Amino acid sequence: MLLVLSDEHKEHLGFLPEVDSAVVGEFGRIAVEFLRKGSNPKIYEGAASKSSSASLICIKLFMYHIIFMPVQTCLALTGKLNVTAEIVQHGVEGLMYLLSESSKLMISEVDFQDSVLVLGFSEELNKLLLQLYLENRKEIRLILSELAPSMPHYHNLEWRLDAQLASRALRQQVKPVLNLKLQLDDNGTRRTHLLQTDPATLLHLIQELERALAEVKTNHCRRILRNIK
Amino acid sequence: MELSEFVQEGLQYLADSGYFNDKAFAVMIEVAFRSLLLSSSDDTVLDNNELKHIEQTVVKHCHSAVTTCILECVKQNADRSTICTCLEDIRFDPERIDTFCSLYQKHKKDLENVLSSIGRGLPHINDASWRLEYQIKNSHLHKVNQPSYLITLSTENSGSRSAEEVNFSCNMEQLQVRALRLSWKEASPATNVLHDNKITFIYFF
Repeated sequence: MLLVLSDEHKEHLGFLPEVDSAVVGEFGRIAVEFLRKGSNPKIYEGAASKSSSASLICIKLFMYHIIFMPVQTCLALTGKLNVTAEIVQHGVEGLMYLLSESSKLMISEVDFQDSVLVLGFSEELNKLLLQLYLENRKEIRLILSELAPSMPHYHNLEWRLDAQLASRALRQQVKPVLNLKLQLDDNGTRRTHLLQTDPATLLHLIQELERALAEVKTNHCRRILRNIK
Repeated sequence: MELSEFVQEGLQYLADSGYFNDKAFAVMIEVAFRSLLLSSSDDTVLDNNELKHIEQTVVKHCHSAVTTCILECVKQNADRSTICTCLEDIRFDPERIDTFCSLYQKHKKDLENVLSSIGRGLPHINDASWRLEYQIKNSHLHKVNQPSYLITLSTENSGSRSAEEVNFSCNMEQLQVRALRLSWKEASPATNVLHDNKITFIYFF
């Protein structure tokens, strides 16, 4: 399945062949960081502290300032690279969109290469983009999966066996009670449910859930799982 | 076993042949046990031919006194001698004491079940429903291709009698009922031990 790039998208990515591959690599890394965590100035400070060419340091400061400083200050820096802040921003955003769409659709290597071919980049740049895609697609898919609508999700289950000896209504009892602490994650918030059950109901619950597990091994489910890929 | 003045008064009426003859007494005791054990309340429980000739306020007083006495006996797990002593103090005839005790023995287990179900506790799980689904894609991600389960635990809170549901999703690995199976393996021999030691517990306390 080929990725269809809009004209605007192609225009944004058109900036990439004009800079050398190390810079594109850096853009790619920044794009992935944006996808991962949003902007974080520490990344740029850390990257700037490593030795790198002057143009790279400019770009890093650039990205930092695009987010945190007014446009005029950015413009003061653009002279070094001979490009506008907007172009660099578009370039990175274009890369982000390319990576996220490719990961979302889980397109194959060949399809990715064919999709990028239409941009008319050099062989080296195409290889770089493909490598960027393949290295990061699993992580990007993980990030995208967190955006999907979800139910409260199971996190943990703890249990405790108690014996109820007496209550206000009845003295001298021996009633086994199983206390359960069920932790669920709901869009980042953790909810704890305190529940109880008795051994007979517990057995019934186990049988029911085992039936549920067995269902996925039936021919019908196996056929579906095998054929929808 | 301590009974309040109101209850003792009611039982004294019951002990008195002038108010309750033998047949009326038997009916009254039966009615008292039945009204405790019936799951739905019956407004006509005291509408009995044998009790019609007795003053209605006395009948009601006796009914509440007997039911309180029965519940107190079950609550304290009173044995026959305790009940006999208590009823003898209220001047019950030996035959009437026998009638009471035999019905008490007959219905004791059921009454214990009723009383043990009363009380506060955590929401009690009654049932679990499940749904197996295969996620194909969503608006943010295509080719998800993962089976997942949606589990609903039906719970009941004895305090408020409300039924609530706890819904959550999980994948196959999480559903491996290891945690639950482990707890069952632990719980099963433990509950046998508890049953065997029930008598020991009673004597101990």
